[in-house]
Amino acid sequence: MSSVKGMGEELSRIALETASKENATYTDFRLVNSRNEATQVVNDNPSSEELTSLGVGVRVLYGGLGWGFADTDEMNRDGIREATLKALALAKGAAKVGIKIQFAKEPSYVDTWMSPVVKDPFNVPMEKKYELLNDCCERMKAEGVVLRRGGFVFTSIEKYFASSEGSKIFQRMIYSGGGLVVAAKGPTGMQRRSDQQWMLKGYELIDELEFPEKAEELKKDVIALNGAVKCPEGKKDIILSADQVGLQVHESCGHPIELDRALGYEANFAGRSFLTPDKLGKLQYGSEHVNMVMDATINHGPGLGTFAYDDEGVKAQRKYAVKNGKFVGFLMSRQTAAMVGEARSNGCMRAEGYRLPIIRMTNVSLEAGDWDYDEMIEDTKDGILMVTNYGWSIDQKRYNFQFNTEKGYIIRNGSVEEMVRSPAYSGITPEFWGSCDAVGNKKSWVLWGTPNCGKGQPQQVMITGHGAAPTRFRNVTVFGAQ
Amino acid sequence: MTMKSPVMEGSKLREEAHQIFDWVKSFAKGAEIEIGLGTNINEGLRFGNNELSQSQYSRRRALSVRVVTNKRQARATTGLLAKNEVEKTVQKALSQARAGPEDPDLLPMLGPQKYQTVERYYSRTAEAPAEQKAGWIGHAIDMAKKNGLLASGILETNVDHYWMLNSAGLETSYKGTQGYYSLTMDADNGNQTGYALSTFVDLRELDANEVADTALERAKLNKNQGDIKPGKYDVVIDPQAWSEMLFFLIVSAAAGYTPDFGTRQYKEGRSYLSGRLGEKIMGDNISIDDDAYHPLQTGAAFDGEGYPKSKLPLIENGVLKSLASSRISAHRYPDAKPTGHELPLPNPLGEIPNNLVIRAKGSVKKSAEELVKELDRGLLITRLWYIREVEPRTKTVTGMTRDGTFLVEKGEIVKPVKNVRYNQSLLDLFSKVEATSEPVRNLGRFGETTMVQPGVLARDFNFTSVSPF
Repeated sequence: MSSVKGMGEELSRIALETASKENATYTDFRLVNSRNEATQVVNDNPSSEELTSLGVGVRVLYGGLGWGFADTDEMNRDGIREATLKALALAKGAAKVGIKIQFAKEPSYVDTWMSPVVKDPFNVPMEKKYELLNDCCERMKAEGVVLRRGGFVFTSIEKYFASSEGSKIFQRMIYSGGGLVVAAKGPTGMQRRSDQQWMLKGYELIDELEFPEKAEELKKDVIALNGAVKCPEGKKDIILSADQVGLQVHESCGHPIELDRALGYEANFAGRSFLTPDKLGKLQYGSEHVNMVMDATINHGPGLGTFAYDDEGVKAQRKYAVKNGKFVGFLMSRQTAAMVGEARSNGCMRAEGYRLPIIRMTNVSLEAGDWDYDEMIEDTKDGILMVTNYGWSIDQKRYNFQFNTEKGYIIRNGSVEEMVRSPAYSGITPEFWGSCDAVGNKKSWVLWGTPNCGKGQPQQVMITGHGAAPTRFRNVTVFGAQ
Repeated sequence: MTMKSPVMEGSKLREEAHQIFDWVKSFAKGAEIEIGLGTNINEGLRFGNNELSQSQYSRRRALSVRVVTNKRQARATTGLLAKNEVEKTVQKALSQARAGPEDPDLLPMLGPQKYQTVERYYSRTAEAPAEQKAGWIGHAIDMAKKNGLLASGILETNVDHYWMLNSAGLETSYKGTQGYYSLTMDADNGNQTGYALSTFVDLRELDANEVADTALERAKLNKNQGDIKPGKYDVVIDPQAWSEMLFFLIVSAAAGYTPDFGTRQYKEGRSYLSGRLGEKIMGDNISIDDDAYHPLQTGAAFDGEGYPKSKLPLIENGVLKSLASSRISAHRYPDAKPTGHELPLPNPLGEIPNNLVIRAKGSVKKSAEELVKELDRGLLITRLWYIREVEPRTKTVTGMTRDGTFLVEKGEIVKPVKNVRYNQSLLDLFSKVEATSEPVRNLGRFGETTMVQPGVLARDFNFTSVSPF
């Protein structure tokens, strides 16, 4: 720990002093040291790779009018000075055509934070990881099975942040995750079942997930799906599994509440948003059962969006995005918060490694309701239960979506009956969340991890968290994708 | 101020690679080794709401080391190139390899090869001043302002240099530039919008004013969109609009996002193409090559283990003709020969063609506008968005249109319409192509697969729902 923190302290002084001498309005510096270990087995073929990187990103505001950013892996005084001067040159160029940039105020912090870890995944022998993966892949063998894939990824990130406002923050996070995929061919084509989870935890997560038992269940499912009937078409009540609700929250709430896209800064790639600032506090986003939070604090759980400070030094917070169905909050940066008159950013600036921070989801979660899962099923007369995402697509303003899932069951008179293959549903976001009439309680609520959210130009991949429970929606368009 | 020139860095790369290779050899103590040393310089001027919002410069290096010992292999990659860090990286790879199971597909390292030259480095691109690029962006912003619109987008350049060496004597390298200019002009929270894209290897290929003109022209047309009913429509798809769609032709979500056109996937039965070699799966006017040497293509002339890439006719007149292959496949299967489509090893996923070129009969010199003239009634699509696989056998995908969907009647654009969702089989689409335009280069999804593809006029595209805007 101390070597990265010490290096950060030393090199940040170079960057901050260099920018200050050139009269920068504001400067921040992030040093990021990351280690990533990926191990997988596909059918009987093993693969492991470890990636390490160490670099610095320097962001400079010049004249209060223009931003510049440069990153470098040249970790010495000259390299940092050169990157800072490059960021300054870009900021000066941007300032020539810029307009006044305001910042929401944030206290400066001097702090250290380490994520809680029970079992350091990098101390677990590789032999043990391969033993577990091979066991899972062996258990997924069966007639018709053409793909058996298992993998783990472990990541350690140390980052040191310093700003010209006086913040000096060191954080260390350890993330773990893994998943299984099995695919089988049969009379209905190729069916897939999968299971995955990613959290801000150590190897204890892998122990908790009980992958060997899941491998057996997935194999049984995928074989059964090859003989399952097609999902009926029409308007039905649907109950989504908690992991599918997590992705629905990510796509239809998490992205449209990003304030940079709501203000138009992402129009060329990620898109715009139907949730514009003029709708804040006014638009009924969903039914009164729908409460969604943006919560980066550890109290929310060890999610992929959990941290102590974001990548512009704002302390982690919990805020509502949707309260009793009403749209009430954005994911913000200090600059965009000021643009919409908010006194403070809620700390959502995040960067892939030491690249430029942009507004990203933290943990955007659907709060648990009060429905017991069994009671929700018993209360459903004519519906489809849909489990685990297969594909997802949504328009650039986050209105029109279509999701298909890996497996489903017909619910008839309060009872889960025959399996259906490839159940899919589609809708328009506010209508869909407006049809939500039951959210599972805390017993069924899980903080899911999404390890692969793309945004930005050049595109950055971010990790996000989404708490969710099984949830029911009334009168939704459903169909069988296969 | 002065920065290290990427050209200077390039000329030093061979020397650095050999120095590091010697270190790795001494640390690996008899293990077979392969190293790849790469540098990337990325410069991007990003703008939104008629403002220059993100000016970025990124300079990265990566050393990747593969070690093979006792029938096992592993890879470790680092951005740290000091001798002690290189030693740590080698030790990590060795320790992972020793702890791993024997690799049933492990082969000796590939020996020296002869390569066809590809010239893809242009100093004009590598050294283009930020002021020049900012000037082009400023022009687009001025045009947007004059027309009551907001310009957003990015002008990005990349300089890549890579050197590969292994303990069997292989040595190869690649140096290249590429970039793109992506521009949206919109108003009314995107209810009025137009889009244009141009890619380049040599900056001279970029006509920034034409990009701005196209985005503006489309934004002017795409206002007050009319309603449209879901159903089957004939379509003209702009050549820049659909590279992401083609990505799903070669990668299967059903098989856990593994590639489809490789011999290993085919033989293991996990590709939608398995058992279909020689079968007609598309219209006879469609041929698809993997051709790293095509003048519009990008990237190196060798694969992940340094094997020279072959030009490969994947689809010939609609028939599945051949598969991407590798030394592993040739070792496993008597009827396979290496074609240079391996990913960096160890690679349990299989081979992938990542230099796709669609050759369609009659596409020479015809513009996308001329395709519109041939459309009796249907839709012109200028951009497709958020494409995902729905059904693997027919390669049915879903997605949305965005930034300009136009109703065409008797060869003329009649009116803009709201964005529509489609559920469309790619094999069916490629069976119903009636005409194509001159191909363009599209930098593919995540920049990994470059597609050379024409615009198409196709019958019966299946639209299933409509967005509120």
